[in-house]
Amino acid sequence: MGKKLKKMAVVFAAALAAAISGGCGPSVPKLNVYMWSDYIDPDIVQKFEDENGCEVVISIFDSNESMYAKLKAGGTGYDVILPSSYMAKVMNDEKMIETLDLSKLPNVKNINSEYMKKLALDKTFKYSVPYMICYSCVAYDKGKCPNLPDTWGVFGDSKYRGRMTLLNDYRETIGAALKANGYSLNTRDDSELEKAKETLLKWKPNLARLDNEGYKSGVQSGEFVVVHGYSGDLYQVLEESKNLAVMIPKEGVSLSCDDWVIPADSKNKDLAYAFINYMCDPESAAANMEVTKYLSPVDGASKLMSDENAKSVVIPKAVYENGEMIIDLGEDNAKYLKIWDEIKISQ
Amino acid sequence: MGNTEKYRGKTGISEALLTAPSFFWLASFFVVPSVLIFAISFKISNSSGGIGDIWTLETWSGLLRTDYLAILWRTVWVSAAITAICLLLGIPVGYWIARQRPGVRYWYLLLVIVPLWTNFLIRIFAWKIVLHPDGFLRSALVYSGIISPDTFLLNNIGSVIAVSVYTYLPFAILPIYAAAEKFNFGLIEAAADLGASRFKAFASIFLPGIKRGILTAVLIVMIPSLGSYAVPDLVGGIDGEMLGNKIAQRVTANRNLPEASALAAMLTLIITLPIIFLIAGKGGKILLNARRAGGDK
Amino acid sequence: MKSRYTSLFMTVAVAVFMYLPIAVLITQSFNASKFGGSWKGFSLRWYEALFNDSSVIDAAVNTLIIAAAATVFSTVIGTCAAWALHKYKTSLQNVHYLLVYAPLVMPDILMGIGLLLLFVSMSVNLGLATVILAHITFCVSFVTFTVLARLQDFDFALIQAAQDLGAGSFRIFFKIILPLLLPGIAAGALMAFTLSMDDFVVTFFVGGPGSTTLPVKVYGMMKHGTPAVINALSVVFMALTLTVAVVGQILTHKKPKQEKLQWGKN
Repeated sequence: MGKKLKKMAVVFAAALAAAISGGCGPSVPKLNVYMWSDYIDPDIVQKFEDENGCEVVISIFDSNESMYAKLKAGGTGYDVILPSSYMAKVMNDEKMIETLDLSKLPNVKNINSEYMKKLALDKTFKYSVPYMICYSCVAYDKGKCPNLPDTWGVFGDSKYRGRMTLLNDYRETIGAALKANGYSLNTRDDSELEKAKETLLKWKPNLARLDNEGYKSGVQSGEFVVVHGYSGDLYQVLEESKNLAVMIPKEGVSLSCDDWVIPADSKNKDLAYAFINYMCDPESAAANMEVTKYLSPVDGASKLMSDENAKSVVIPKAVYENGEMIIDLGEDNAKYLKIWDEIKISQ
Repeated sequence: MGNTEKYRGKTGISEALLTAPSFFWLASFFVVPSVLIFAISFKISNSSGGIGDIWTLETWSGLLRTDYLAILWRTVWVSAAITAICLLLGIPVGYWIARQRPGVRYWYLLLVIVPLWTNFLIRIFAWKIVLHPDGFLRSALVYSGIISPDTFLLNNIGSVIAVSVYTYLPFAILPIYAAAEKFNFGLIEAAADLGASRFKAFASIFLPGIKRGILTAVLIVMIPSLGSYAVPDLVGGIDGEMLGNKIAQRVTANRNLPEASALAAMLTLIITLPIIFLIAGKGGKILLNARRAGGDK
Repeated sequence: MKSRYTSLFMTVAVAVFMYLPIAVLITQSFNASKFGGSWKGFSLRWYEALFNDSSVIDAAVNTLIIAAAATVFSTVIGTCAAWALHKYKTSLQNVHYLLVYAPLVMPDILMGIGLLLLFVSMSVNLGLATVILAHITFCVSFVTFTVLARLQDFDFALIQAAQDLGAGSFRIFFKIILPLLLPGIAAGALMAFTLSMDDFVVTFFVGGPGSTTLPVKVYGMMKHGTPAVINALSVVFMALTLTVAVVGQILTHKKPKQEKLQWGKN
């Protein structure tokens, strides 16, 4: 017994030593990036590391809200973060992120000017640089839902009862109900929100669940036949399953963009600028689009992609015309959250 | 138990030495953070998640504004059901493993826990395939008339309970096994020889003999499941929300740490008050006896 | 013999219950599909991806280092705590009992934020070390209660007898107490290891750059992209575990078996 314990202790000490020395090995500069999983081409990261003689350490978060809660409680150590636009704005308002020095970001000239003018929340790159644009839409099973009309109203159709999902995200889902009624998804108007609540209560009995994680495999396996999700992820599923199709509700959808920001307490700002600048290069943008199937706003990048992928990342004109960016509503978020609580509790 | 008397002289030092590690560890890494968190429940947050400076009962009285009672009730009965099923399955398994040859027992113990060494989310996705609406299990159940064709096995309270039982069952089996391993099974044989039925012998001799194992199983299944949120979040239906989900939502979407703390404090009080009451009041002895159940005979 | 058959039947039923999803998981690891919703043909692509994806391997190594450290420390601390709780009848132990009980009650997400607030206020850098500290904290209670379960009916006369025969406290600890407690300690350690391996919420909050663990990674993969590669990783890990167990079993089997100590009879 004693021998076994001793052996275990030795192995453990070795492992711990390895871990600690791994933590402060040779002094290659480190860039700590905090972002979504599977959201960047690893070869591009490798190329950046080689060209800049540094190591990029990517840490993962799974929602804007939990990432924000962590940073707000004091979590630190990151040099570049990739929140969605509305969250980037909150972080800027809270003075958690750096005001950008554009002289260190020559490549932002590649960012599509039309996008910046019409949609971007931070129109002058004051604190953020856009990375990937996405929109929410609906994927469905062509065989089980023939002639699905292109409207949010499908969630009111009891034909698909128990086989449909909406996102478990209060802004996205209440936003869908607002759009279904023809209102802005950033409305602060109480009567409009009340209408949206009624709509959602009508939809609720038809839903299997509110889902953020399982809708992709669920729609592929036939557990669900109509799912509300994010464009890039759904196009990745479509690529595999030819029996599925995407439907873009004609009333309009939510648009969002993930933006690079530099936290105010970053210890490696020069490298952070270099990294963001690198991502605005058409070649990197093209490679990243191939992997994620989301659209990069970098001009000239689509031309460098394979034809099939280039087709799937293009955002249809209608989406731009009726779509809206989600904006953080500050105090008025509470109105949405109250409705969200009521919808979840109602029987 | 006269023989403990002999150590009384040494008791002070060795008691201190044995108690110190856990006492100081938990005091620094559990009590301090908990006090920090619960103090926040007496503040209010603004819309960006900032915590105000003023001390107030606003957040606590705010708890009354939302209808938490339905969620609380669902949380309690679902946890109780999970615990009951875990015991029902865990006790026979613990008993069976304890009756195996000493050499192979650790093998079975390992086999009990190894399924949990895969990833939590991956296991849940495997469950989704097992319980799939067009899957083998549901087809078989519908065909044999056990469930009606419009019953789904997923996205309801049933699937939350089933997957939670799956997640917690090994945690029930382990302490039950640890207690049963030293049980003298000859006692059951003896009772049977004296004419007691097998079941009666099992219930009146074996179960009391491992009661602390059972108590531990109840504690470490029931209490964490009261605060759990991942399983209801992933396999629960549209009406499956539990208190844990609400707490998580308050921290993330609502950016309202004070209300999350108040909710958690409420949960803590509900679970812990009976115990504090027991210790502080006359019940102290009862608890003490329960704690060392059987040890003082 | 009836109850033995009942318990055998229940055990088999539980085994099917526990391993059914594992069978699905193994099948899925050979499914060419990215999302695993339907069968897209037999493929080894996820095993290939596993060995080419250094981020998954790094996360797995982090997870194992954290779990090993949390298990060792929490087992030692928890065993001492259980021994003290069982042996002494002081009011100190009443408080001690509450202290061990309370962490079970705390919802993960608040334990995570609470610890984060603590670490931030002490300006500790977030990373592997803070994650290990946090994991030890929530594992201790589980170990303590499991060892405590083992201590029911513990007969102190045994220790006294050994003392009367002149054995020193070290000898008594290693020769008597430890072997008697071993099944409880082993059960507690297995539990601690499992809890640590699977924790997401606490790790998310107290982790820092470079301390990404598998659960954190997999939660991220669920949201964007695909966790299919984790099926393959799980299969490899289970296979390794069982191989080590078999080898260990064969090695220890060579030693002559000691007579099992019997104790605690009334």
